[in-house]
Amino acid sequence: MKMHTLQPKEPMTMAKVMTEQKTVIACENVFVGYGSEVVLQDVSLRITAGSFVLLMGPNGAGKTTLLKAILGLLKPRRGHITTPFHITAPGYVPQQKSIDPLYPVTVRQIVGMGLYPELGPWRRVTGDFRRRVDATLEQFDLLAHDRKTFGELSGGMRQKALIARAFVSGAEIFILDEPTSELDERSEREVVQHLHRLARQQNKTVLLVHHGLGHAVDHGDMVCLVNHGKAVLLEPDENHSMEHVADAARRGIAKGKAS
Amino acid sequence: MIDSLRSLLTVFPYAIAAGFLIATVCSLLGVFVILKRVVFIGIALSEAAALGVAAAIMFHIHPVLGATVVTLATVVILAYPFERQRLPRDAVLGIIFVLASSLSVLLVASSGFGLHEVQSLLYGDLILTNRTDLAIILITLLPVLIYLLVFIRPSLYTFLDREAARVMGVRVMIWELLFFFSLGVAVSAASKVAGALLVFCYLVVTPSAALLLSKRLWLVMLSAVLVSVAATMIGMVWSFRSDLPTNQAVAAVACGLFAGVLVLVGIRRLLVRRVPAESIRLAGS
Repeated sequence: MKMHTLQPKEPMTMAKVMTEQKTVIACENVFVGYGSEVVLQDVSLRITAGSFVLLMGPNGAGKTTLLKAILGLLKPRRGHITTPFHITAPGYVPQQKSIDPLYPVTVRQIVGMGLYPELGPWRRVTGDFRRRVDATLEQFDLLAHDRKTFGELSGGMRQKALIARAFVSGAEIFILDEPTSELDERSEREVVQHLHRLARQQNKTVLLVHHGLGHAVDHGDMVCLVNHGKAVLLEPDENHSMEHVADAARRGIAKGKAS
Repeated sequence: MIDSLRSLLTVFPYAIAAGFLIATVCSLLGVFVILKRVVFIGIALSEAAALGVAAAIMFHIHPVLGATVVTLATVVILAYPFERQRLPRDAVLGIIFVLASSLSVLLVASSGFGLHEVQSLLYGDLILTNRTDLAIILITLLPVLIYLLVFIRPSLYTFLDREAARVMGVRVMIWELLFFFSLGVAVSAASKVAGALLVFCYLVVTPSAALLLSKRLWLVMLSAVLVSVAATMIGMVWSFRSDLPTNQAVAAVACGLFAGVLVLVGIRRLLVRRVPAESIRLAGS
């Protein structure tokens, strides 16, 4: 098992091979925290285009903190994070409690929010944009519910709406914070498979915090283990499959809990 | 009713125009005040505006200028992240409310005015709106109305999901600050003319009725305006015919309309529940 080096595990197209070495996210000696508490210390990571990275770690280890720092929502106290988000916004799926169900906004409006990087505050929503929203709603079986408000949806449907909002954007990088925790098994598999296709066929980069890991392990390229204030990238090699890597990460988490 | 409305239009045209504009803008702002769950900010800003008027009387400057300065200063204070000091924002709003309402009465009273005069100076009467008041209301509220209608997308996204909006490139700090500044300007200008109670009523009561009436944002905004304008019209006619204080009459009508909407929604829910039960009986027979 290699650490800190990133090589996606599957054979790829020529176009992908040519672009795969491009680093899209780089953290160099990053320290992040809230108030007086430092959550992550001296984190250094490099993630290349087309990688499918699973973030693992016990509750409160700092997975969401790491994602927020990468997204630019939390300023590192020390170190430097390089991302292309000032040029192209990522597709971001926060934890579902991010939207107040009191708001009288429909599922269609929530998914349409993902078009903001292209529309900005002024531009009119034309037929092309509407068709993209329609296609994304259909992909997530939300078309029949597009006039319902967020508050009228079940937990699983709410998550689907937030995932659809990220996917409609056509972003290059997707950052998802436990996006499938309330989905049924079929929907979860579909979401993970879709992320896998994005990474394989369109060279999109995926960072996924995922507790269940069942389906995700089958499709991920590497694990980013977040524990004890550190974040380490683990990737499979010729002797260790992705399942071995995930098992090692789980053992690392269990050991951390026991100690 | 129609005759009274005609007489009102003839005798108090400025009051009607100002009332409709204040009702429109404050109820639109109110929709977001409720959705953002910052209802208490409305009453705190209204009292801050009254304090500004009191200070203006003391320093012999225009009341709207005084109200605007103090209200905007309050907005800036409220922008401070008090949560980091382990103090809920509601508590800070409560302190501002108590401080502003007591200081404003004390300031004006120390200028030699009687209590009744103090009340009328601090909390205007809509029916007494004159041409200058209407001009000030137009200058201050029309830009707020334009901002609300033109920048609805980034403002809504900022309120709906602040974090995701920021990731998508929405300048959430700017839009949030712009909203609170607009709220401050609208409340300070409207409070001098319509009084703190009526402004708070437009910010809370009529948008609440609208939120019960519809699940679409545009319809909620439209309903809020319609309910507010209807309450203003009915309340003004009622106060004119029965010689009642206008602000309180409009506020009471708005509460009555809210109660009516509540009953209407209750009946609608009952009917929706009954329909499937009847269908089942029919299917089984």
